[in-house]
Amino acid sequence: MTSAKRKRDAQDAENTSPRKLRTQTVEEDENDSVSELEAQTPSRRGRGLLAENGTPRSILKKSGLANEFNATPKSNRRLLFATPTKAASDETPNGTPTIVRNADRSARRKSNRKLIDRTINGADSEDEALGEEDALAQQILSEEENEQARKQDKEADAQEAIPVPETPSKRPRGRPKGTGKNQLAAKARKEREPTPPNELPAHEEYFWQNRPGGSKTSNNTLTSQTLLNHDEYFETMQSYVDRHEPEKEYLLELHSRAYDQWIFELQEGFNICLYGYGSKRAITSEFAARTYQHLLDQAPYKGTKKTPKIVVVNGYTPGVTLKDILATIASAVIPKSGKLPNQTSSLLTCILDNLARDPPPHPLLVVINSVDAANLRKSAVQSTLASLAVHPSINLLCTADTPNFPLLWDVGLKAQFKFLFHDATTFASYSVEIDPVETVNELLGRSGRRIGGRDGVGFVLKSLPEHARALFRIIVAEQLALSYMDDGDQGDDEDPTATSQSKTNAPRAASEPTQGVEYRRLYRKARDEFVCTSEVVFRTLLKEFHDHQMIESRKDSMGTERLVVPFRQEELQTLLEELLLGDAF
Amino acid sequence: MEHSRCYIYTPPEQESRPSKRQRTSKSKPHTDLSERLKIYSKTWAEQEKNIQITLEEADSATQGKIINFVAANAPSEDGPRISIPTGLIVAGPSIASHGPYFERLGRRITDETNSSYVVLTSGESPNLKTFLKNLIKKITSRTEEDDDDEEEIGRSATSSRRGPKLLNFDLGHVQEWTSRNPVQSIVVAIQDSEAFDTALLNEMVDLFYSWLDRLPFVLLFGIATSSESFEDRLLGKSLRYLEGQQFDVTQSDEIIEKLFCATVAHPDTEPHIGPNLCRRILERQKDHVQNIQDFVHGLKYAYMSHFYANPATIFLKYDPKFKDFSSDAFEAIRNLPSFRRYIEEKLEDGDTQSVRQLLSSDQSLFAVIEEHVVAVQDILSSLNIAAMVLTRIRESLGITPKVRLSSVWTRAASGELLDSPLLRETMLSIKKTPSDKLARVIDSLISLSAEKVGPEAEEIDIPIELQTLHCELKTLIENNADSGPLRSQDDVRSESVRTTVVAQKVLLSKHKAALSEQDKAYSEIVARFYQQLESYFRFALIDPKTLFLYEVLVYDLKSPHTEVFQPRPRLALERALATPHDYLGCGCCGNTQDRENTLAGTQPATAIVYQLYLESGTLINATDLWSAFNAIVGKDDEEEQSPTMALFQRALAELKHLGLVKPSRKKADHVAKMMWKGL
Repeated sequence: MTSAKRKRDAQDAENTSPRKLRTQTVEEDENDSVSELEAQTPSRRGRGLLAENGTPRSILKKSGLANEFNATPKSNRRLLFATPTKAASDETPNGTPTIVRNADRSARRKSNRKLIDRTINGADSEDEALGEEDALAQQILSEEENEQARKQDKEADAQEAIPVPETPSKRPRGRPKGTGKNQLAAKARKEREPTPPNELPAHEEYFWQNRPGGSKTSNNTLTSQTLLNHDEYFETMQSYVDRHEPEKEYLLELHSRAYDQWIFELQEGFNICLYGYGSKRAITSEFAARTYQHLLDQAPYKGTKKTPKIVVVNGYTPGVTLKDILATIASAVIPKSGKLPNQTSSLLTCILDNLARDPPPHPLLVVINSVDAANLRKSAVQSTLASLAVHPSINLLCTADTPNFPLLWDVGLKAQFKFLFHDATTFASYSVEIDPVETVNELLGRSGRRIGGRDGVGFVLKSLPEHARALFRIIVAEQLALSYMDDGDQGDDEDPTATSQSKTNAPRAASEPTQGVEYRRLYRKARDEFVCTSEVVFRTLLKEFHDHQMIESRKDSMGTERLVVPFRQEELQTLLEELLLGDAF
Repeated sequence: MEHSRCYIYTPPEQESRPSKRQRTSKSKPHTDLSERLKIYSKTWAEQEKNIQITLEEADSATQGKIINFVAANAPSEDGPRISIPTGLIVAGPSIASHGPYFERLGRRITDETNSSYVVLTSGESPNLKTFLKNLIKKITSRTEEDDDDEEEIGRSATSSRRGPKLLNFDLGHVQEWTSRNPVQSIVVAIQDSEAFDTALLNEMVDLFYSWLDRLPFVLLFGIATSSESFEDRLLGKSLRYLEGQQFDVTQSDEIIEKLFCATVAHPDTEPHIGPNLCRRILERQKDHVQNIQDFVHGLKYAYMSHFYANPATIFLKYDPKFKDFSSDAFEAIRNLPSFRRYIEEKLEDGDTQSVRQLLSSDQSLFAVIEEHVVAVQDILSSLNIAAMVLTRIRESLGITPKVRLSSVWTRAASGELLDSPLLRETMLSIKKTPSDKLARVIDSLISLSAEKVGPEAEEIDIPIELQTLHCELKTLIENNADSGPLRSQDDVRSESVRTTVVAQKVLLSKHKAALSEQDKAYSEIVARFYQQLESYFRFALIDPKTLFLYEVLVYDLKSPHTEVFQPRPRLALERALATPHDYLGCGCCGNTQDRENTLAGTQPATAIVYQLYLESGTLINATDLWSAFNAIVGKDDEEEQSPTMALFQRALAELKHLGLVKPSRKKADHVAKMMWKGL
């Protein structure tokens, strides 16, 4: 029987998904609901009606009817199991009207097919068909109710922001049979949520964690006191002693045993790339020292005052450019006379020409810490480095931090680089490479803390003239007003019953794309309030804010420039209060 | 120093130096390292020469043709040219080797013809303007130094002198340059034509055509796909301006086969590369890189590792004397598994006397080593020759599927060839082979034995009476009156199947056609050849792993090779963070057997946060992450949170630095997960 088979298939499909437990419960539910239906005669009447009318349209009508007259047996049954609404919305808070429509459509098709099946297969399929029919109607009903329930549901709107791929097939599955035992099933699922099935293969885990609606996170937020600022962080870290210090020391010692080997490899014209977790600066600087010593003991330097040259590049430093690198290499390669070309490409050819014309007694060692740092990731930089590396008079020792760094180089570049890769896991903290406090703030969208939070802003504002302060006040006020407006809009069409708790969280999430004040609008506003008289003055004022990172400039989806004060709403409020009071700054 | 962008290294103050030196110098167990490295450089230099010769041979034919093409298309006096001479160089899909190829080509073109040669890649040509700028710069800057700033200053001066100043993408610069440096032709090589914008190519052709009366352009296109698909990309109008000729470059897999033949499978190679490593290198070539350079680097690194890490390799020294070796070197030999086997064999024979001597006396061990190094080397080279012989025979018999020398060799070197179906099949077809084909086989073997691969190679010795067989066969064929070739008795064609019906049963019986006298004589030759060949293979194809001193003469370790050329950095990182104990080996965080217990509070903070990160979904609430972290690491009292928080912040920042998380705008205080472990 096809309908049953179809159903099987769908179930099987579910079986393959990680939720093994779930299918079990679903099966149980099915059994339950069947027995339920057998016991309850009224539901059979419902089926009779359906069978008479036949068309799916009638099912819809019926459902409408059923809603109106609450006395139909089905609604009775639903009332028996008191709170399907809440459970339902808990399961799938992502139900959108389209999904409902899809479900309807598929319901129509399904019921048609079922009718045909039944006439072909005769009565022996009656019982099962009955169960399904019933469940179908039930599903549509509960779908509708869901809609309402969702509107009332407060939790649900937090999920609103997560775009969930439409998977209509998945959705009706859980429901139809589950309606009877909705609560139980939902409860069971809820309990399962926090502990995903363990020992999944990596790809299954990926799909499990990316399943629609799969990631439910709490709405907890860090209070601004929890995160440490720079002073606190460094103060704490100074007294911190890592229990693994001896082991790390041992790791370094292990790597240091390979230095001679590396020197040999470099001599043979290979370049070296170190990877692995942990800062590798200690290794590179030690290796530089080792090579320095090694070279000092050799021909052109031994017994003379000449010293070998080793170029060190710190790729992780924020502003490092290709030009810096080339200039440093040029200073080591080219005798100090004459002017160096300005452009990087001609500087490169200049270096290479010099090396070819007048090769140094030994290859110049260039150490690059974090060759995969953001600044060096551009293909132009990498190809320049490659054309340096391919030169026999240049040895390259790089370190790479990110796990996917080999993607930086295509086959051609890789062939030029001629890298030998060594695992140099050190477990050392990236104390120089990154600024933890700043990185975390940025990660959590709290970059306003960069200038030392509100106090920092106050400090800057104090040093600025009156009209600058006024302008900043306008920006803050406008941004606040905008975000309130956004809230209002959202509340109206989607979330009339939002509580204060969800309100504090929602705006940030929802209004993010249109956050900030439009540049033009701000200028007009500022002119109106006699803060500035010309755009030039306006720009100068803004530049000051920019320089202190008090505002950020973003482009919205339309391409208009928007100015944003990088603070959270609560902080903005306090800021505005203080600005309005005036004496704070 | 750590915060400055780039600097020249200066050694730290004096006092810190001794300790560092100690650390590195005390762990230096390499005795005779420099001696071994000397042997290395000598042997590698020979190999490198072989490689260079092979590469040049492989290239030279096509390059010669291209050069002739360039030379032939120099503008002549008789009238203006009507189209741009264009060379379509089909260089194959291994784009990594295109760069070196065009470089070599350029060198030869500038050396052998009076032309200026420029290579342009897609990277430096995003649009026509930049393309022309680069072109002009490359053609002209060889002689004059010009900088943008100077140009700006000097503008007024030049414009007054020679009319209006030319823009820097005007081909007039080139014209001016050619008037000062007369060249026969300007060869413009487009290295990766596929990567160029089609519109740019069309515009370029049009522009070059319009300058053709003043500038003698010759175009060379590097093509990775096919010349047809290249033609399809150009407009009909532009095509009319071109006059193309196709040049097929030897494909990289063929070159690698040649290199393989000249290096690994070469009979005189020393030390040999083992079959496992070889298989790995070849597979990598086939599946991933397709790059000749990379193959060479792989070989080189194998040689380097062999001599660097194996103290016993010192015995590969040319003209060894006992006094050259320290007792450590002999100790190294005594520790070899193959030495152990050797000794055990001797013990089984009851030769305790010599065993005792070998174990106690370096002198007698040296004698044995000296003898064996030569003997084993001979065995190995005859193994290599056998592989070559088999490949040659298959080639001249035209047996399908075609099996390359590299795969025959790999099987031979792992001792699998002797009983392989491959060999059996070849031998069977030799039995059946007709005289014309057999003559071809014998000829090719004779030529193989006369061949000298490499600069100082000796003649290859195949212990089969090839010459006698050859002569006999020749006289036999000459005496053969029939036009058809002679057939051996095993040839299927001399058999016919006879069906007879006896008492309603069909009987099939094979019937041998009567052999002529000549065929009989031929069959005798075939049988002799077959026998000699078989006994030769049986003698040559041994399992080399059983030989004494195998470890010294053959390098077959995949360990440093794989990690060094095919690293798995992501795996290393994930492993370090998921099971830090693997790296740290500390007492506190161990217990990796029981997976439930892996998350211990003693682990490094980043490792803990990473493992929590693994458990979470695509969106991670930093607050919850923090509370989970705090629950694992934190102290009980609420007051003392700041050390834990500092660790947490650092860990989270490190995850960001490693690219595992990124900011999420979906919810406040949330981060998005970027990587799944093990994918």
